[in-house]
Amino acid sequence: MATLNYPKIRQAGRWIDVRRRKLGMWAYALNRLTGIGLVVYLYLHLGVLSQLARGQSSWDSFVSLARSPYYLALDVLLLAGILIHGLNGLRVALTGFDIGVRAQKTLFGILMLVAAVALVAAALKIFGG
Amino acid sequence: MTSMKMVEVPLQIFRYKEGERPHYDTFTVQVPETAHVIDAMDAVWAMHDRSFTFRRACHHSSCGSCSLRINGVEKLPCITRVTDVWDGRAPLRLDPLRNFAIVSDLVVDVSSFFQRLSAAGMAITRDAEPSLPLSVDGLAVIGVSPKPVELPENLSCFNRFENCIECAICMSACPTMATDDKFLGPAGLAAIYRARQKTDNPIDVAHLLGMADGEHGVWRCHSAFECTAACPQAVDPAGKIMALRRELIGRRFKKR
Amino acid sequence: MENPFAQEPKATSAWLWQVFTGVGLVILLGLHFIANHFIAKGGLRNFADVVAYLRNPIILVLELLFLVFVTTHALLGVRAILLDLGFSERTENRLSRVLRGVGVLTVGYGLWLTWVIIH
Repeated sequence: MATLNYPKIRQAGRWIDVRRRKLGMWAYALNRLTGIGLVVYLYLHLGVLSQLARGQSSWDSFVSLARSPYYLALDVLLLAGILIHGLNGLRVALTGFDIGVRAQKTLFGILMLVAAVALVAAALKIFGG
Repeated sequence: MTSMKMVEVPLQIFRYKEGERPHYDTFTVQVPETAHVIDAMDAVWAMHDRSFTFRRACHHSSCGSCSLRINGVEKLPCITRVTDVWDGRAPLRLDPLRNFAIVSDLVVDVSSFFQRLSAAGMAITRDAEPSLPLSVDGLAVIGVSPKPVELPENLSCFNRFENCIECAICMSACPTMATDDKFLGPAGLAAIYRARQKTDNPIDVAHLLGMADGEHGVWRCHSAFECTAACPQAVDPAGKIMALRRELIGRRFKKR
Repeated sequence: MENPFAQEPKATSAWLWQVFTGVGLVILLGLHFIANHFIAKGGLRNFADVVAYLRNPIILVLELLFLVFVTTHALLGVRAILLDLGFSERTENRLSRVLRGVGVLTVGYGLWLTWVIIH
């Protein structure tokens, strides 16, 4: 029987297509995307920290670059990723232990609201000084 | 006789036959306004293309045969009214379930699905069915002499009080099923949970929980909850997976 | 024919470690952020401030713990995504070993860098 099987790679990428999917799937895709972004950031950050090994002038010139508005905007984006991933991650942890499973959608809503509030507060602090 | 309001529905149907490239065919059928999607599919088969292949049986969400995707979303067409899913303009798109090999058109190979259920001991074999025909309310079925039904002695073990109709909709909706052939899946894990509920025999419990505890068991679930959202029968497979996780963690810590 | 789904495979702890490090990170990352960007004047420490900061033994332990937790959590996450690409079991085991190596190298780099900064 010659059945039609789609290649694994094509199937493996399906999680990104969240059209017509429900909230849980949106949360899962969001967690994955922010996770990937944060892994990339982690290694960029560790790379940047090597400036510390090059001595005071190297590090301090990096610090003055890092205070530019462009950089600060990227920091706010980073914070958004951290808050979304972290707070949704708490929801995944709780539901994974069979806590709050029936209320998982509400939990997502509440945690993302907390993330939004924290993000706005942090952005004001970052840009306000 | 009251006249039935009819609607003309275009259906864009996934087609695949062995040796041919998959493609979509569009058919327009006239069905009553109150018709279900399965009725429109029957009309396509009857009026347009006798090679159109799909599964259907009970027409009331009890057999789970007809499951497919309507506009990309897993549904049972036998209980989905055309007017509930059709916007009146664009064709209604019908696709087979995801994550199963496609045999022909909307029919997929669900043998691996039933293998998962039988691994949990949840499949009923043909031997279990009582003999037919039965007499209904004491009246004879016309043309057939009814005979007394010989029930097996331990009938209770063949009774099943399950919500699951084995439609495999959850398996199609699940993102992990797309990526891991060995994943037990929401239906498989919900079946393990149900089987575990029905037994206190420590050997059976250990085996069932052992099946669920691996790389392709409960820990592979990514908590998308799509299975529970898509299930037409309120099985709540995601809830069952999480409940199994709780039991497994409890056992790990008790061992220490 | 034996049912391939009826086997009892080896129990896995990866998800549990992911949750443990994740919850730990909520605390450790929170502390790291507050200490480095909200307490530090201007939101960033200059070189001298970084050296003084890392020479505090409690801070040193917390920052190194943070590094171990974040590396573990990140690489377990990468592993979870890679495991969803449908590789064979042998390839999956190889990938797990490679990622473990990357983790060790990452923490090693962090330890080296900290040592260089402090001294």
